[in-house]
Amino acid sequence: MSDELDRIRREMHAVLQPPGVRPDDSLQITRRTFIHRSLLFGAASVGQTFAWWPLLNTIDVAHAAEAPFKFAWISDTHLYERSLNTRFVDKVVRAVQEVQAMDPPADFLIFGGDLAQLGKIEELELGVELLKDLTIKKYYIPGEHDWYLDMGKKWGELFGQPNWTFDHKGVRFIGLDTVSRGPDYWTAKKMTPEERMGHMATLDGTVAGAWAGVGRDQLDWMQKTLADWDKSKPIVIFSHNPLYEYYPPWNFWVRDWREVNDVLKPYAKVTNIHGHVHQVLYNEIGSMRSIGMLATSWPWPYAPEGVPKLTKPMIRVDPGDLFDGVGWETVSVNADDKVDVEYIMWGRKEVFVQSPEDHDKSIEEVIRPRIADNQYPWANP
Amino acid sequence: MTNTSTFLCILRRSTVAGAVAAAAVVVGPASANKDPVTPKQLKLYEEAFMEEVRKGDLLFHGDAAMAEQLGVKLSTTGWACAMCHPMASDTHPHAFPKFQASMAKFATLRDMINWCIEKPNQGEKIDPESEAMKALEAYITWSNTGSVLVPGKY
Repeated sequence: MSDELDRIRREMHAVLQPPGVRPDDSLQITRRTFIHRSLLFGAASVGQTFAWWPLLNTIDVAHAAEAPFKFAWISDTHLYERSLNTRFVDKVVRAVQEVQAMDPPADFLIFGGDLAQLGKIEELELGVELLKDLTIKKYYIPGEHDWYLDMGKKWGELFGQPNWTFDHKGVRFIGLDTVSRGPDYWTAKKMTPEERMGHMATLDGTVAGAWAGVGRDQLDWMQKTLADWDKSKPIVIFSHNPLYEYYPPWNFWVRDWREVNDVLKPYAKVTNIHGHVHQVLYNEIGSMRSIGMLATSWPWPYAPEGVPKLTKPMIRVDPGDLFDGVGWETVSVNADDKVDVEYIMWGRKEVFVQSPEDHDKSIEEVIRPRIADNQYPWANP
Repeated sequence: MTNTSTFLCILRRSTVAGAVAAAAVVVGPASANKDPVTPKQLKLYEEAFMEEVRKGDLLFHGDAAMAEQLGVKLSTTGWACAMCHPMASDTHPHAFPKFQASMAKFATLRDMINWCIEKPNQGEKIDPESEAMKALEAYITWSNTGSVLVPGKY
């Protein structure tokens, strides 16, 4: 597998990084960390709650927007029914309260997919109920966990079209559906919807295959959507999966990243913000920059290979603290026309690794794909 | 007296030797260690191992039927081991035993497995000698085949 990944990665580098190709020079990246002083907790409660204060990390990306504004991102809440698991509910409640408390308020919220864990009606409806307390405009894109029980039926009823576009203060926003075009692995094997969902819900499963993709039809739609957009004006694209190849065995990619790049190549200022990876991630792909967001539910370890060299890794998480390694983000376009992505990781003074030992890959590992899901009857229907 | 004790000693030795020989005939592996290993035997050993890996893989991924078969309850929250450790990533079986900060003690992989079952998963701790534990250990170590031993590393 490793050789194959190396081959794909070399190919990606050759295709996307010819000499001189980089994101626009105005897209300066800087990072800063500061104590977040405002959200839910007043000064009086500093003593009691210091350990729980969210702390912000910022990636500044310069854009040319018409006016300063701010929006929020929440994703990967992976809600079970409330009777089974209240921990994930607590985290959504906390994120919602904090976004609602933003001052000045966010212009809108992007929900980046995986609202539910097993795509159940009850789980999706629980998500709607919890997010109802957030009164700003909300936009949703789907995750694979939302989709494969009923093939997006309930999700569509609740949230409408999975891909969409709108302009806001000089920035064109696009929401993509990178989950619904998975190859059919269930019909031939006569799987029940629950079995289909079960395989899809297992990140390291080997049955569902390379399900993450944008699809020709949606690429054509995106091309059409961007046709009237000035090539020097900013574009922000939201997707559940990263739009490049990071680690295909966990679908940390879209399989048609080449075609995505073809569509976006003419545009100078493209930022992709994605969920799914449950970790701090940063990359530059051709002329696009890509930023990975935290989950509220739980953090994934970095993949054993393929972590972009430009990523400054997040801290190794304390498994005894359920609020560690998770959180939400604000994205603000400030007076200097910069877009700040701020990681709000609960319970951390410092989001980024400070020493080699803080990195979850400080102990090297060589791991291999699982086997038990790909044996009879799955492999030989 | 001397002759008698020598005789008894020989008798005892004979008895032990006889028992071992009988065991070897019945069980096989005791004498197998002294015989050249056949491909057939190797295959059987590997199959025995991979069967435990398979069971451990299923347990690790929250398979309810396997948990029931082995009489364990590894989670009550819907969480499964693989949700934080895809492909047994970040389990570092090759670093144990080591001082484990979360338990504040010098711990084995089995201690760590039980810690994860009890704390994040809110399941029921399992017997360290149980088949379920050995199966989990087999899967985790199998998945990390190729990792270099670094016992004690944080």
